[in-house]
Amino acid sequence: MQMTDQDIRIFITMARRYFEALEPKPTLVIEPPFLRDELGPLLEYTGIIPVSGRCQGAVCFTANGGMLETILALLKDKRRDDAAKRDLVGEIANTLSGNAREEFGSDFRISVPNVIVGPRLSADLRTGGRNYAIPLNWRSETAYLLVSLK
Amino acid sequence: MKLLIVDDSSVVRLAIERDLENGHIAEVDQAADGEEAVRLYREKLHDVITLDITMPRMDGLTCLENLLKINPEAKILIISALRDRSTALIALKRGARGFLCKPINPEELREAFELLLTD
Repeated sequence: MQMTDQDIRIFITMARRYFEALEPKPTLVIEPPFLRDELGPLLEYTGIIPVSGRCQGAVCFTANGGMLETILALLKDKRRDDAAKRDLVGEIANTLSGNAREEFGSDFRISVPNVIVGPRLSADLRTGGRNYAIPLNWRSETAYLLVSLK
Repeated sequence: MKLLIVDDSSVVRLAIERDLENGHIAEVDQAADGEEAVRLYREKLHDVITLDITMPRMDGLTCLENLLKINPEAKILIISALRDRSTALIALKRGARGFLCKPINPEELREAFELLLTD
């Protein structure tokens, strides 16, 4: 069975909640999700969470270094290096997918994040599910929450 | 007071350390996975432990059991992205003293920490 629009709304809620926790007056604008033939686009840093159990596939958060540096600053983390940005993008992907268990339940099993560095048009992941891209506009930058589950 | 922070994300470990900075804490150790946490805890028997669940090598729920085998009175606060009720219940049933969900709210974290100290 494929993901429904209702399922995708759950991920939108989790993304909104993450950015609301970062700053008192969040400026996140979430554009309507769109479907792609492949999972993407990938920006400079991508955290990928493999999912198993009731759903099979992956949830990814992808962003450019500039946005991740802004988030590090809001978290009062002084580091701006590659390692910190890799760590952060994986942790955001982990938080968004882990939070989704509130709706999907404990059989929505997530693994530790894999991180890809470097922009590309798509991830070489064959999940068999529909590939949703959810644009997250925040402080003049765009990140994507990518969901491919079945 | 000795604090052990266990999370595979260095961003989270540093954020927890900063959020809990106060006069109570004399020493902070960090571990990036459950195995490292068990080794450090056996050495130092920290007063409070914050523990993530989804980690490589040894997950947080297995780590929780191992820490409690070393010291059944260990004060362990779970801080996890897993927001489902059943995971929280399992952790509390196995002996965790509290459960917080990520993203971390610093005020909630400090409150939970103070509760643990007075427990």
